[in-house]
Amino acid sequence: MLLRENGGRDASPEAVTSGRFSDTSSRHFLLTSQNSDGGWGYHPATPSSVEATAWASLALLSRAADPSPAEACARARAWLLRAQMPDGAWPAFPGQRQGCWATSLAALALHLEGGSPEAVERGRDWLLEAWPADGNLWWRLRLVLARGTVVRQDNSLHGWSWTPGTASWVEPTAHALLFLRSLPQELLSPRAAKRRQLGERMLYDRMCPGGGWNSGNPQVYGVAGIPRIGPTAWALLALLPHSQRAENQMSLGWLEGAYPRIRGAASLALAHRCLRAYGRPVGPLTPDLGDLYLRNCFFASVLTFAWIALAGSGEENRARQAGGDRATS
Amino acid sequence: MSLAKRALVPSFARPASWVAIVRADSYQMDLGTLIFNALREFDLRLRDKRVVLKPNFVEPDLDGVINTHPAVIAAARESFLRLGAASVQVAEGPGHERDTEAIVETLRLRDFLGPLPGVFVDLNLDEVRRVPLQTRASRLRELYLPRTVLEADFLVSLPKLKTHHWVGATLSLKNMFGIVPGCCYGWPKNILHWAGITGSILDINSTVRPDFAIVDGIVGMEGNGPIQGTAKASGVLILGEDPVAVDATAARVMGLEPERIDYLAKAGTLLGHLRPDKIRQLGESVRSVRTPFAVLPAFQKLVASS
Repeated sequence: MLLRENGGRDASPEAVTSGRFSDTSSRHFLLTSQNSDGGWGYHPATPSSVEATAWASLALLSRAADPSPAEACARARAWLLRAQMPDGAWPAFPGQRQGCWATSLAALALHLEGGSPEAVERGRDWLLEAWPADGNLWWRLRLVLARGTVVRQDNSLHGWSWTPGTASWVEPTAHALLFLRSLPQELLSPRAAKRRQLGERMLYDRMCPGGGWNSGNPQVYGVAGIPRIGPTAWALLALLPHSQRAENQMSLGWLEGAYPRIRGAASLALAHRCLRAYGRPVGPLTPDLGDLYLRNCFFASVLTFAWIALAGSGEENRARQAGGDRATS
Repeated sequence: MSLAKRALVPSFARPASWVAIVRADSYQMDLGTLIFNALREFDLRLRDKRVVLKPNFVEPDLDGVINTHPAVIAAARESFLRLGAASVQVAEGPGHERDTEAIVETLRLRDFLGPLPGVFVDLNLDEVRRVPLQTRASRLRELYLPRTVLEADFLVSLPKLKTHHWVGATLSLKNMFGIVPGCCYGWPKNILHWAGITGSILDINSTVRPDFAIVDGIVGMEGNGPIQGTAKASGVLILGEDPVAVDATAARVMGLEPERIDYLAKAGTLLGHLRPDKIRQLGESVRSVRTPFAVLPAFQKLVASS
């Protein structure tokens, strides 16, 4: 079956094919859906995006057991370097005028691949200067005047926003923390350490009352927010150094309870990766994905295939078993 | 195409708008026939057109209260195909949930529409193009918008009848927030809130103008909508070519005064008709199907007096 999507535009026929989903499907998909410019679009044969390219690179880099797809990664690295803006940030797509949350992911991919220290440091510097707008005076005044009691959260705790001039949210904050955590100590100034701590405190503040996270509103109009799989997994991965904290354990409990009800491949991959990273028992991922693959081919989403590859890699799990879990409770 | 193809015309210079209210007590009814017959009341020229249906998907919901019901989507799709459309796609970019597959699988959308690849498009991950906005009601001056929407010949907003904890009610105009791609603006599309929700609704709808609206009010949501409210059976579908008139009618069915809903009041100056004397009713009357919705205390001021 050839997957056609977006109104009949052909998805790359080499990239998405019929048949069963296997352990090698994600890697095959990613390698065959790379654009000729070296980047990846969100779907095969669509314009390269920074986020998709970063995740595809990270996924290919993570498969330690596979022969290294060095050529694909080198082309991706070159594309990411070309896409970096003069101020050190990355936009969502080349040509856009502002940097955004994708900066964390691009810098992380370049850092883990190695060989681009200057670009990584410029990305880091942009992130450290990228303050969300929700802590400014106007925002606080507006909260007091308009709806001070509507949303329960501490707006003095800053994380990172999706786009400049907007508020802190869970997912971009988690991504920034994952990037900063990947850097060696010599690349982290005291300012970076403080920013990281602030971001972690912001994540804990935005946790839903019963554990887990949604996009970043834990309580509105006095009603507890409903956690979601993706933000919970990202927040827990970002807070892995504090794995023994009660908030982490409560949120893991929520995620474990929700796991059997997950209906999307992307969520399943993220949850699986997260549970493995915390050493929680979780069955093999591939059989659970098989039915979804037959139904929708994961909508030929590069992100989904990349997250599946990362989940299968057990990257964090290996680090934890090797003593890499810097649990500080 | 829907992108600014029609000039913005002040309400006083517009002819009256027609809005149909159709009773539909359950999602098990023959909604295809109901919607097809209602659409035939309008002079829709759809032969060989590419139609895009934009439902409201928010998050995985087993209870069927949050999202536009797939039975309504399937019935609308079937109806537009019967009216001669060359293709009818379903396209949505949920505002909070990145895993759109999880939503459509929980909804069992495939059971209603058949295989989804080629039919369903995740607008959050679609190709984008920079589009200058037609009005300056918000601080936005331009947006990146998805190709599927920009290339549609006929765009249908297909919302759920719900209260909304920031703006009072979410209907066909507010539903258009879902065309703004997460791949550029994130989840949620927080830039729209910072630019001003009311202004953003107006700017988006003045630029990418829905050609038709169908509100799923068979079961809506009252109270703390659009996610954590309570199911409210209203038993209606509300349809029309003027999304402002459709939303105004829907608000009246909910027992709300549309003139008191900020974005609707403003939309009534340029984007369509708000006043009852400028809305011609087809099918049921508002009075006969009126089902007052509970609202949060902050929105009591929207409640109609009678």
